[in-house]
Amino acid sequence: MRLLGGYVRRYFLQWLAWRSFALTLVANQAVTPLVGLAVWSTVLPERRLSDYFIALLFVRLLTSSYENHTFSEWVYQGGFCDDLLLPHPPVLVTLGENIAIRIWHIIIGLPIVAAVVLFAPPSLRWQDVALALPAVVLAAAIRFLFTYALALSAFWIERAHSVVGLGSTLIFLLGGEAAPIALLPDAVRPWAEALPFRAMLGFPAEIAAGELNGAAVGMGYLWQVIWLAVMVVAAQAVWRAGIRRYTVVGG
Amino acid sequence: MRLLRILGRVLALSVQRELAHRVNLTISVTMMVIDLAASVATLGLVFTQTATLAGWRPAEALALLGAFQLVTGLLNTFIEPNLAWFAEKVTGGRLDDTLLQPVPSFFMLSLGACQPLALPRVLLGGALLVWATVAGEGVTALGVAGCVALLAAGVVITWAVRVLLATLAFWAPGFEPSVLFSAFWQLGRYPVGVYHPVVRQLLTYVVPVAFVATFPAEALMRGGGGLGLGLGALGAGAALLALGAAGLAWRAGVRRYTGATS
Repeated sequence: MRLLGGYVRRYFLQWLAWRSFALTLVANQAVTPLVGLAVWSTVLPERRLSDYFIALLFVRLLTSSYENHTFSEWVYQGGFCDDLLLPHPPVLVTLGENIAIRIWHIIIGLPIVAAVVLFAPPSLRWQDVALALPAVVLAAAIRFLFTYALALSAFWIERAHSVVGLGSTLIFLLGGEAAPIALLPDAVRPWAEALPFRAMLGFPAEIAAGELNGAAVGMGYLWQVIWLAVMVVAAQAVWRAGIRRYTVVGG
Repeated sequence: MRLLRILGRVLALSVQRELAHRVNLTISVTMMVIDLAASVATLGLVFTQTATLAGWRPAEALALLGAFQLVTGLLNTFIEPNLAWFAEKVTGGRLDDTLLQPVPSFFMLSLGACQPLALPRVLLGGALLVWATVAGEGVTALGVAGCVALLAAGVVITWAVRVLLATLAFWAPGFEPSVLFSAFWQLGRYPVGVYHPVVRQLLTYVVPVAFVATFPAEALMRGGGGLGLGLGALGAGAALLALGAAGLAWRAGVRRYTGATS
């Protein structure tokens, strides 16, 4: 834990130097929820979907993951072999940078959220938001493990960016960003509710916006815990298989 | 003419280079198709809940998406490879070589490199436009002509605005507009009518994605009367204005540039 804290601090300071780059990352993270907000508020003005999309914007900033840039690039450049020599699991380095970037996302994103709140005042209830907080933490963990597992494909192929991009597309379509899960067609909705993409993004926003009753919240949490366990096992398996393939040239 | 020949040669060379890596090419095209399918599916979701989106019917919104994809493909193929991260080139003194070459630096630095992997998106966007034309009712020859003219104007405006943003680097080297531009660009895939009026003004006059997608699609699907012609004239005027401004800014910017090499 102390080690992880050290990495978070180290990368937080490192990203201090890249804060203008972080700003551009945040702008790109924010744009899809805002487009969703605009489009769905036009389509269904009476449903007050702005609450949901403002919550979604917040969840997205808190769960952003760039392991294809931080980890995969590190593998491609060969710098990753240094991490292997560290006296602790190398994933701590990646996780530390991930958390540091998310902290920057929140710092930079707050003014954007504030501006949106001014334009479209949300009517969130505090109890709903409090109920959503553990779900945000779980979503952040699942999203990190998911992106990390996909980024590990860098051990096999040179297009880890495409693999992670495919994952992002699935999250966009089935995670509640293209449309809130409740508005998906009947044939797709049960699947979308169970698949991990909602657990990574849409579910916490749905709770915060007060769209779920008690049973649905419990069910969603159950899915989150299941998917968290699955992702931990999957990421470990991919890591073990990948690390055996890893070779590096130079010295 | 000589300039066109040079740019054609650059394109041919880049295409050859990319065709050599077939797996890479296949993955890129597959990703593009998936991306496009996701966009169409999103539109489909929207229209399960409503008959019109800010007054746009499904076929019209499809045409808009097609126009957006087409111009995005051209932008990513011919313009972005040159002007993305342009500030680094200015601060790193990497413009020296090109400035010394006996061709206009404006064209060489804004169009001199290309990324043909993005070209399939142009075809996919075009296919969407054709699909929308077939599915839509009341598409006229005049509308098609207006759409083509507006698409051309949209490409020129995009190029000019991108150059204008890049030239900011000569005055403010710390400011890198590339990613902000791409974030705003994403707003173009829906009719500008869905956004807040302030954002709508921005999208028409500052980052003119309205000219790229909304106006061409409007001309195509509703351009029967004088609308297509009117929009076409507006687009041509805006294109000339933007290009002139870009040329002037470029000249002033290059005069401020000091090489960093010896």
